[in-house]
Amino acid sequence: MTTENFGNNNWGMVVDVDKCIGCNACVLACQAENNIPLNTQDRVERARSISWIRVERYWEGDFPDAKARFIPIMCQHCENAPCEPVCPVYATYHNAEGMNVQVYNRCVGTRYCANGCPYIVRFFNFWEPVWPESLRNHLNPDVTIRSRGIMEKCSFCVHRIRRETRKARSEGREVIDGTIQTACSSACPTSALNFGNFNDPNSKVSKMKKDKRHYTLLDQFATDPNVIYLAKIDADKKVAAKHD
Amino acid sequence: MVSENENPETKSASLPMMLILVLTAGGLGVMAVSGVIAAFVITGWLGQPVPVLGFQQTFDQPIDFPHTIHASTKQLKHVAADGQTMEGLGLDCTFCHRTVTTQANAGIPPVGFCATCHEVIGSADNNEINILRDAAGIIGDDGKEPIDWRRVHRLPDHVRFVHEPHIRYLTQNLSEVKGTTDGVTTGPSAVCSTCHGNVAAMEQVEQVEALKMGQCVDCHRDNGAPTDCAACHH
Repeated sequence: MTTENFGNNNWGMVVDVDKCIGCNACVLACQAENNIPLNTQDRVERARSISWIRVERYWEGDFPDAKARFIPIMCQHCENAPCEPVCPVYATYHNAEGMNVQVYNRCVGTRYCANGCPYIVRFFNFWEPVWPESLRNHLNPDVTIRSRGIMEKCSFCVHRIRRETRKARSEGREVIDGTIQTACSSACPTSALNFGNFNDPNSKVSKMKKDKRHYTLLDQFATDPNVIYLAKIDADKKVAAKHD
Repeated sequence: MVSENENPETKSASLPMMLILVLTAGGLGVMAVSGVIAAFVITGWLGQPVPVLGFQQTFDQPIDFPHTIHASTKQLKHVAADGQTMEGLGLDCTFCHRTVTTQANAGIPPVGFCATCHEVIGSADNNEINILRDAAGIIGDDGKEPIDWRRVHRLPDHVRFVHEPHIRYLTQNLSEVKGTTDGVTTGPSAVCSTCHGNVAAMEQVEQVEALKMGQCVDCHRDNGAPTDCAACHH
């Protein structure tokens, strides 16, 4: 139980866009897992809805040959995160495990980080979150309820990572690849979302990362994300192998 | 002061008045501003939810539960109904707080668990035990109902504390254990005093440590535990 042991992991995600069917199960799982306030019609109309992961849909080609494409987008946990240096109170920082951490009790709500983020995955709590009485007991006790006036974003389900590493340590073993799953990756019916340790060369994500199709979102900003995407395969279209 | 030097003769009579007025107004202004600031600081500090300042806090519980009788291994000040001196039972902390070595919360035993002993142990005149028997459905006819214990040790909302790794580490490194206990000194029970004090000697449980972040971080640094924010805050 030393600090060095804690830095052995580099958590990351590989999203196989080819497998994504746009079912939004990840969005729902995330909402339920992380105590995200209800996105009521009023909030959505004001463009102030909160969803740590979203499935973006876009069209490729012209009608009638148009194809619907889906891409799940969550916090990319960038190694060179644009959100981190702008925080005046050090509420968001990069930890030794490759995660971009949001410390809720430090946040003072300047919203600089949300303006800096090119992926638009940071959300501000404009209101105190309220749940109907019937949903109170559904809240996850492992996740803080964010009050009004602070930023929140995907945490890579850090409470699940802590739970599994703790369990592994109490059983005196290393974390087994695949035992740590985020809420979205465990809910994904087609295994499009895969979570794991990039520092372990034998982990599933490390192997997937070597795929020819890999790319990162908005790599012109050189944010070096820890979320890797694998490009869509088209039967009738040759995919340009960008990186190999 | 400057204006006094400009026209010493013509305004000599009215100037001290002016000066007094200006100084009074200024002084009042400064007092008002500092008063407002002090009010902010005081309300900001005292306005914190009480459990954050839980140091030395204690509550009257629905049942006057003495940890001394159950946990202590020493002779008690408490005298039995027949005038005899008593010794504590010396139960392990984990006998009742069963999940402390495996889970986040230490856990409060359900009423039925208390009743396994107290169905027969304790005289029928003991009011405190009768509250328990009533809650367990042994006496009275209002069925079973849980006891609404008041929580003494409560951490702020944005911090996660899990008992299991702390108990595990301390039982393996007994030199890091602070405080002494009147209770059992073997197994997990030996380490509880580090944060909870000598509970076995408490008639009414009290929070003896401030349990603020500084204390957590000090201990984490000394023992090589993670000091990453996300280790506890998430």
